[in-house]
Amino acid sequence: MNQSWEKEKQRENGAQVENVSPKKNRPKAGNMLWEENICQRETEEEDSREKEVLETALLAGHILLENGAEISRVEETFDRICRHYGVKSGSAFVLSNGIFITAGSELEGYFAKVQHIPVSGTHLNRVAAVNQLSREMEEGRYSIGQLKEALDSIKNMPEKRKAMKVLASGVGSAAFCHLFGGDGWDMAAALLAGLLLYGYILFVSGPYLSKIVGNIGGGALVTFVCGFCFLAGLGNHLNFMIIGSIMPLVPGVAFTNGIRDIADGDYISGAVRMLDAILVFFCIAIGVGMAISLLTGFTGGVPL
Amino acid sequence: MMTSVLAAMVGTVAFSLLFGVPRKYYPYCGMIGGAGWLVYSLAVLRWAPEGAALLATIVVMLLSRAAAVWQRCPATIFLISGIFPLVPGAGIYWTSYYIVTDQLNLALHTGYEAVKTAVAIVLGIVFVFEIPQKVFRKLLGKR
Repeated sequence: MNQSWEKEKQRENGAQVENVSPKKNRPKAGNMLWEENICQRETEEEDSREKEVLETALLAGHILLENGAEISRVEETFDRICRHYGVKSGSAFVLSNGIFITAGSELEGYFAKVQHIPVSGTHLNRVAAVNQLSREMEEGRYSIGQLKEALDSIKNMPEKRKAMKVLASGVGSAAFCHLFGGDGWDMAAALLAGLLLYGYILFVSGPYLSKIVGNIGGGALVTFVCGFCFLAGLGNHLNFMIIGSIMPLVPGVAFTNGIRDIADGDYISGAVRMLDAILVFFCIAIGVGMAISLLTGFTGGVPL
Repeated sequence: MMTSVLAAMVGTVAFSLLFGVPRKYYPYCGMIGGAGWLVYSLAVLRWAPEGAALLATIVVMLLSRAAAVWQRCPATIFLISGIFPLVPGAGIYWTSYYIVTDQLNLALHTGYEAVKTAVAIVLGIVFVFEIPQKVFRKLLGKR
């Protein structure tokens, strides 16, 4: 693999020399057409190779950005892949929901692409896998084609099963309920609320609702479930039950990544992510508040 | 208190599953979340909640970066789930509870507390983020 890389590099250097000074060793008239043909074919090959490198780097960036990596990591990985495969003029501008890349100089063909990447779920296993891949690439273990294949398989990495996620949400809610001071019965109610909440996230709010309505609904759902459990006699501290089970809604990823982006100087993306986090925080609070005031109606005005 | 540290560990692992952290990193996530909560609950006996949150965030962040260098993977993996026990989820609840029950003074107070805690977490992350990677590599003896 290394050898073929060396060969390619040599070929590239040769092509560059031909590109830079085609007139210097101008051949005899009869040979000229043939020489020019070769020259052209080589630059075409070069172009398609460059294009492949850039597309692959873009794919890596896409996977990282989509699955919850910081902006600086996306840019760094893009640059690393370009540099490793010898495309010197590649440059990327990354926002929180899109990547703009261009390349081109006297020696390299021009190439530009914009890709819109809508915010979707966080899959840190894919981020870790791309990170590992780029490390292995630096050791020279991949040709560009193999890298692309590896990235494609990362892109299609299986998600955790839905049942597992729902269960994790329930267990997490119960654990956080205990963390903030709930007892065993509170934890049981929080478990139930956490399970129902993630079912709602996966099957209702995720596919059909906007972020605002989805999170207001989530906060309200949790409060209603906990409130009814409390009224039916399951659980002793309504507040701890609710606090524990709203945790799966809390936008930890947007918050943390927003801070890191701002610390890196990526203010636009950082601000967008922070705004996202703050919006979600507010929506949860609104949902909880609305549900509490509705619930006090059921108890005839007695505050819960 | 031991049970609440255990709860923090379990909660952190459960949430790292939601974020798709690879299975081999679960123990690290759990430890980091537990350590963060342990530091918080010890520090809060002595200092204000914001100060305790700052200290705990610094510990979580240091451990996350150390684990990232040790395991050669992004620190985000450990950080995101490890920070969860410290996020002011309770602050959100109390603020909205006091608002709807017309206790505006208390609502303002808890809302302000929640914002202060959030700022403390931000500062904790940013401070430790500035330490160069080299320091962690040297401390752990990795090149």
